[in-house]
Amino acid sequence: MRLEKCYFCSSTIYPGHGTMFVRNDSKIFRFCRSKCHAAFKHKRNPRKVRWTKAFRKAAGKEMTIDSTFEFEKRRNVPVRYDRELMATTVKAMKRISEIKAKRERVFYKNRMSGNKEREKAENIREIQKNIELIGASSTKIKAQIAKVTEKMQQNIDMET
Amino acid sequence: MGRYARSRTHKGIRDQYRKYRTRNYAKDLDQIQEDIKKVKENGGDETILKPQEWNEDLPGLGQFYCISCAKYFVDSEALNRHQRGKNHKKRVKLLKETPYTQAEAEAAVGYSTENSRERL
Repeated sequence: MRLEKCYFCSSTIYPGHGTMFVRNDSKIFRFCRSKCHAAFKHKRNPRKVRWTKAFRKAAGKEMTIDSTFEFEKRRNVPVRYDRELMATTVKAMKRISEIKAKRERVFYKNRMSGNKEREKAENIREIQKNIELIGASSTKIKAQIAKVTEKMQQNIDMET
Repeated sequence: MGRYARSRTHKGIRDQYRKYRTRNYAKDLDQIQEDIKKVKENGGDETILKPQEWNEDLPGLGQFYCISCAKYFVDSEALNRHQRGKNHKKRVKLLKETPYTQAEAEAAVGYSTENSRERL
């Protein structure tokens, strides 16, 4: 069973699925679904469309360099059937997908780390900038902000 | 889907669906880049892309061709006007990028080809 990859979004195309387009210079383009085919017909660049794998990899959204990518390959040389080999391959596939999922989780965690602090700092900055918009009734909030800024200043002083 | 919802998809717009018909399918960017490469290899001689004889089915008998836009024009004035324009400049800029290929799509998911005969 030959599994192809979509030209546009790089997802796997199973037999009987998707569309194939052969251009008049006999170059083949395979698409996993009509969404990808339509995008191709509109001459969109997959590198610039945010939901494609090509974009996500280029923008550092997903793991790119990893040894778990070395296993899935198109092999044009037929291998003689061997029951033992088949069994070990299936076993290995399961294990590799496990490892890959684990590494992807770690990658995601690393990518998202520090987001909360960044967001909080951004929020505080915005409130400080527009402090006059907060009414006189909210003295409580103002006191809170003063406290936070003082703390931040202290942190900075300690660092320097 | 109601009547209005159907007519308000982009399929309902005449110019839109005519633009994307197969008969209007122009050359893709990678094909044009190959053309440009061919011209460069021939020392900037653009005539190799032109039809050798006058083609009556093409605008301007096929003599005024813009390579980067893969388009025929009626006369040299029209061609010049086009090459001064925004669309042409945009296209020239786009052509400077390396073309997207199936290999790149496959590399994005770590898929490659192995043709060696050794057994694992």
